[in-house]
Amino acid sequence: MPISVLPPAPAPAPFANKPQYGHSLDDDFEDEDEMDIDSLPTGHQRTSQTILTPGQLVTQDPQWMRGHGTFPLEDRNSVTGIHSTLAGTLQKTNKLLSIIPLRARYTPEIGELVIGRIVEVQSRRWKVDVAAPLLANLLLSSINLPGGILRKRTSVDELNIRSYFSEGELLVAEVQQLFHDGSASLHTRSLKYGKLRNGYFLSVSGMGGGSGVVRAKRQIFTIQTRRGGEVDCILGVNGYIWLAKHVAEKEGVGMNKLEEAAAADTGMYSSQNDEIGAETRGEIGRVGGCIRALVEGGVKVEEGTVKRAYEASLEVDEVDGEEDYLGAERGRTVVEMVLSGRG
Amino acid sequence: MAPYTNIPLSPAELSYLHNSLSQNPPIRPDGRSPTQFRPLVAETDILPSTNGSARICFADGTEAVVGVKAEVEQSRTFVSATGEVGAEGVLGLGAGGVGDVDMDEEDDEQTSRAGKGEETWLEVAIEIPGMRDDDALPVFLSAMLTEALLADGELKDRLWINRRFHWRLYIDILLLSQPFSYPLPLLSLTTHLALLSTRMPALLSEKDEDPLFNDDWEASHFLYPQSEGRSESQRKPPVTLLVMSVGENIIADPSREELAVADAVVAISVAPSSTPDNEMVLKTLALRTVDPPSRLTGAGVPTALNTTAGGTSLTAAEALVLREKDQGQTVWRPPRGGVKRAVITRMIKLVTEQGGVGQEVLEGLAGVET
Repeated sequence: MPISVLPPAPAPAPFANKPQYGHSLDDDFEDEDEMDIDSLPTGHQRTSQTILTPGQLVTQDPQWMRGHGTFPLEDRNSVTGIHSTLAGTLQKTNKLLSIIPLRARYTPEIGELVIGRIVEVQSRRWKVDVAAPLLANLLLSSINLPGGILRKRTSVDELNIRSYFSEGELLVAEVQQLFHDGSASLHTRSLKYGKLRNGYFLSVSGMGGGSGVVRAKRQIFTIQTRRGGEVDCILGVNGYIWLAKHVAEKEGVGMNKLEEAAAADTGMYSSQNDEIGAETRGEIGRVGGCIRALVEGGVKVEEGTVKRAYEASLEVDEVDGEEDYLGAERGRTVVEMVLSGRG
Repeated sequence: MAPYTNIPLSPAELSYLHNSLSQNPPIRPDGRSPTQFRPLVAETDILPSTNGSARICFADGTEAVVGVKAEVEQSRTFVSATGEVGAEGVLGLGAGGVGDVDMDEEDDEQTSRAGKGEETWLEVAIEIPGMRDDDALPVFLSAMLTEALLADGELKDRLWINRRFHWRLYIDILLLSQPFSYPLPLLSLTTHLALLSTRMPALLSEKDEDPLFNDDWEASHFLYPQSEGRSESQRKPPVTLLVMSVGENIIADPSREELAVADAVVAISVAPSSTPDNEMVLKTLALRTVDPPSRLTGAGVPTALNTTAGGTSLTAAEALVLREKDQGQTVWRPPRGGVKRAVITRMIKLVTEQGGVGQEVLEGLAGVET
């Protein structure tokens, strides 16, 4: 069937208990309100299912401290209450109340692996879109310059800046530094970072919200696919994902041998793809479909879930006997298999 | 026509997508078959104060709502030399005037209104977030949808009430999300559903009296009569579908990144029409080429020319020869020139043929419950 038209899904069932924080403007309900907060266990577990909206009163009890996503406001009786500034759920850490937003842009932190797209070339730096509120900086001095030795940038490099990265190109980098306004400075001074080619880009929601890419032990891994050889998978913490054909690394390259490696690896700034077979292309598409299905199903995207989803999609194929689009029904089946495998 | 957005994809990505889609069979990035559509969520009759409405949500998150509203309007009239008031365009004297003959039967009324509709009685307004009303995209889209709706020539005749009054039909199209991909198919499918569910109140008055309508909504009739059997009167509003080509391959329902590497994009408007032997066939009403955004992308640099990737710096002439020889095989090159006539023919055939994409879509939409 080339097209499937679905009826709209019914709205999710309202939470069993009535809205807990809505009543607190009313003094009569204040006690009940505090009970609700107290019933939340402490710690980092997000157990509150009620969604707070911006401006909504969380509590007026002075015992609580206000954390991220809240602001104090005095009401008519000059009682200061804690209000939410975000749409999200409440998290309680001991006596600290904070709101975890349902959706948020990526907040860079030092050392995180991100995938970015060049949006602007300036005289000595690039501006990179990393799905953060502000564009990140990539300085010309914080990339690997070719030429065999670690050297300072020269005026020739400044003139050739577009031949390293030009607008629209993708790169994988690490957050090196944060500025006061929250914008990031990136670096690609390692052989695992640099320009991306031979593959397919997709973006899902990053940190914030329940699903999407989460910070994990390994953000770069390889999936051994059934027919198409190895597929490299780079999960940027900012929710940008790169799936590419695996290119065999040269032996014995480490940080200390960077100079030799840079001299040998001339393809570092190439934007020309290698030969990629049809099977590999198909498998890259399949892994992409698995990741999309995971995000739609509200499952975290990390090495384990992606690999399990890939296996599950193969099993679904064995049952259904067809290989194609992982949408709607089939996507849901894959997600269910991933979730059941975990338990 | 107006390109809709400058897609910032890197030359390596564009080259990968283009090569994947040129394979035989094409490998789409989401694993669909060439003629497969993404699943969509649809419902009709969602707005209580309209004559007909629909909502469609595509899998990529774009969503549209359409409301159809009909208003009675006085036709522009003139006073003839004899003092008789006649509707413009219908010259009463000696032209076999409608008013002179008593015609009570439905069939006669159907034939009597033929050719009396005016194209200005249909108004299509498109609202796209972040765009002005007079921006190129909404203007072009509404022109394309209006063109398809008027092309069968029957809708405007249905809006005729009598010689002094007519319906004015407002079709308000609201795109609720950002236009992630070219929104034409979404808007067209939603308009189709809304028009299918549009009901007009039943007329009580006769002939050229001031129109009086039945209050009973149950007695209203559909703007596009829905009969069970496949009869002559079974008409459906048109749908406009987007089809693109990459090399020799033809792909239906292109996603955003697929459009970014298209060689040619064609919008085809089709509506069902019945043949003498009562078989539903699709008739092409309108055909428009859409300027593919791929033309605005930047070309890739071959490794041989990239000095930072071990290439040599060649003279301008040598570099040009290298690029021309390459023909976009190893690095991305924006498509040039037109599209082959045979490819256009195959695109139209893909949509209109028996059991083709167009028929599948119409059948899918006919199954939407109100």
